[in-house]
Amino acid sequence: MNQCFLKKECKELHAFPQIREFALKKINTVHFDSLKKEPSQFFRFYYVIDGRFDWNINDEHHILYPDDLAVILPGQIFGGEKDLLDIGAVSWMHLELQLDRSGKLSTGKWSRLTDSECRTIGRILLLNDCLVLSRLKEAGTIFQNIQNEFITQEVGYTTRINQLIDELFILSARQLTRQSNSRRDFPQTFMKLEQNLRENLSHQWSVEEMSALVGLGTTAFSEKVKSYTGFSPLNYLINIRISEAIKLLKRPDVHVTDIALDTGFYSSQHFATTFKKLTGYTPSEFRKKNITTD
Amino acid sequence: MDCIITIEIGTGAIRVVAFDLKGNILGSSKGSYPTFHAKPDFSEQDPEQIFITMLYILKNFLNETIHPRKYKVVCLCFSSAMHSVLPIDKNGVPLGNAMVWSDNRAKKEAGDLKNSALGKSLYKTTGTPIHAMSPLNKITWLKNNDKDRFAATQKFLSIKTYIIQQLTGEYVVDYSVASATGMLNIHTLKWEADALKHGGIGKEKLADVVSVFYSPKKLKKEYQTALGLHDKVKLIIGSSDGCMATLGAGVWGDGKATVTLEESGAVRVVGKEVLQDKKQRLFNYLLIEGHYVSGGPTNNAGSVFEWYAKQFGDFKKAFDLEECVENLIGEAANISPGSDGLIFLPYLQGERAPIWNANARGVYFGLNIKHGQQHFIRATIEGILYAIYSIGKTLEEHRSFKSLSANGTFASYPFWTQMMADIFNKPVHIKQGSGSDSVAFGSFLLSATEIGLYRNLDEAAESVKLPDSFTPNKQIHDVYLKHYSIFERLSVKLFDEFEAIANVQNEN
Repeated sequence: MNQCFLKKECKELHAFPQIREFALKKINTVHFDSLKKEPSQFFRFYYVIDGRFDWNINDEHHILYPDDLAVILPGQIFGGEKDLLDIGAVSWMHLELQLDRSGKLSTGKWSRLTDSECRTIGRILLLNDCLVLSRLKEAGTIFQNIQNEFITQEVGYTTRINQLIDELFILSARQLTRQSNSRRDFPQTFMKLEQNLRENLSHQWSVEEMSALVGLGTTAFSEKVKSYTGFSPLNYLINIRISEAIKLLKRPDVHVTDIALDTGFYSSQHFATTFKKLTGYTPSEFRKKNITTD
Repeated sequence: MDCIITIEIGTGAIRVVAFDLKGNILGSSKGSYPTFHAKPDFSEQDPEQIFITMLYILKNFLNETIHPRKYKVVCLCFSSAMHSVLPIDKNGVPLGNAMVWSDNRAKKEAGDLKNSALGKSLYKTTGTPIHAMSPLNKITWLKNNDKDRFAATQKFLSIKTYIIQQLTGEYVVDYSVASATGMLNIHTLKWEADALKHGGIGKEKLADVVSVFYSPKKLKKEYQTALGLHDKVKLIIGSSDGCMATLGAGVWGDGKATVTLEESGAVRVVGKEVLQDKKQRLFNYLLIEGHYVSGGPTNNAGSVFEWYAKQFGDFKKAFDLEECVENLIGEAANISPGSDGLIFLPYLQGERAPIWNANARGVYFGLNIKHGQQHFIRATIEGILYAIYSIGKTLEEHRSFKSLSANGTFASYPFWTQMMADIFNKPVHIKQGSGSDSVAFGSFLLSATEIGLYRNLDEAAESVKLPDSFTPNKQIHDVYLKHYSIFERLSVKLFDEFEAIANVQNEN
């Protein structure tokens, strides 16, 4: 196993503005303060090759074994449980990418991920509180391949490395949904999705995003939702939006335009049309006629 | 052509079914809504989501199936799950979510009342076993634990009452749903003063009680327009899902009983007398004046087998529970009746009838070195049906029956239905391809009677034909009986241990 340690200053990384650090390291002796708990400014991936690592991620203690992958988001606190790097072998990569509060992952020109894929992957990463993926050998292969590309620098290596980083994001997102959904219990999985939809009702959800959170392809997801709820995913969403809107309409203190936007309609016009089509009332008529005992 | 539309406001979904006047199904549609569990014992649903789901499904169904084929809608008939409580404020606006039937938060209130003299007399007057699920105890819980909400409440409604009020402006509750609240005197058909006093409310806090044939006011104009229905469409308030399933299965009068096998299950009979069980094990709900649906409910029917499938089944396709369940049933058939002495008590979610023990838990008993995985599958099904049989036996202490009619998702598996026939040693009838539509069919019969197609419900119920019959095998019955007697003893004998393990589990 060849060790390797590349930092931002190294010339190998000049072609990769997004990579802050890439390393594969064997640790034979313990050094105090070799991995202090501190807020991470970057995206970090740590893959355990050998040994047992006691880490603390966002105030939670995790023990990682070979083939486990930890994903640390910008802003999370990360470090050794005893502020040191345990004995063993580990690969890591630090990436300078942004993840905003709404879950949008900002990559850069180097990445081929589409906007909607970035949003979906970002949201999946944000929604899962535990970002330790166990027994993920594929991640090890990706790290190994990146390292080989760095060593050989054959033609096309820049493109290959960028692709491998994209792949690492895709793999992590898929594995996260798989790990957090049993793929046996649709009602339970759907319940979790529904909760996410309600908590972010003003977000313009796409079917792609919803299916990715459940860990299914869009076709399988739409079929499953239709047979379970009787609605297509987008109609189910409209259903929740209108139910929430009705609740707000019954509180006289909230403005109709605010209700429209809070519940995810593009505009009060869009809200009014959808609402009237379904109920026969415009939102303000509904408000007038439904807040009195008869 | 004329048609009748039934609307079932079920535990997790709205089901809309259209019938022609002969009772043939013209089409159906369903839409589901979630149950929220903010705390382990809480089960709540959003009344606005239920309403909008109902409207959405009904509107699409009318536009896609009924209006294009020029069917004329004669009436809309409602049915709903029982035991729901929805407090509304002085403006008619819901104060939070509705507590649905399975909400268990009023355990303590129920326990206190059950053991009191008042509890015993209330069972006699209301016919409802004192249990956390009954609305009386839910209201008492609100009085004791959510004082602000209790004080702000203008009325305590059932979910169906709310839906009908939204559509028409009228607050009404039918005899059937009202008789499942633990607050209706099923002999006088009036709200029971002692019950209301215990709940701390006056009768103005409840909806007006009406017959299941009652027609509320017309649909509000806006809904007529949205749904494309004229103002002559008759609304019928209808009954509860349990009562409708019984009627729809043709169970009416002596000698017959019905078994419903959905996630939960029940065994029911219909008669002119209330069954006064000394141990308060049976419910008595009013269907129409002078006719009572009596029986016992279980928490652990299909839900327990689905639990087994999710844990131990082989999922070839992601989330395909149905296929997994079918494969497991196929495997169970490889084992002989009695599962070579492996017995399962299915009380994973505590149990209602007949043991009424919230602490009861699941048990596999009699395991030996020769038992394999397939024994577990078969024993699990047998255990679920032994529990159903134990309710049947309790009912037979009061009234005997010669045959059963089965309905619900799990009754549509012939393996289950045959096993039921063998365990009961009685023929079991099932409607061809009926699945779970006997609630809808019951509502159809009710509507058809109201618009004069039948003279009365007796005649309507008699029209139900149940061609498919499963005949019991006496030899196999004897095998089951040997196992059942051990099942029955264990269910009672383990009382102290159930309590001990429930305490341990509740500590965590």
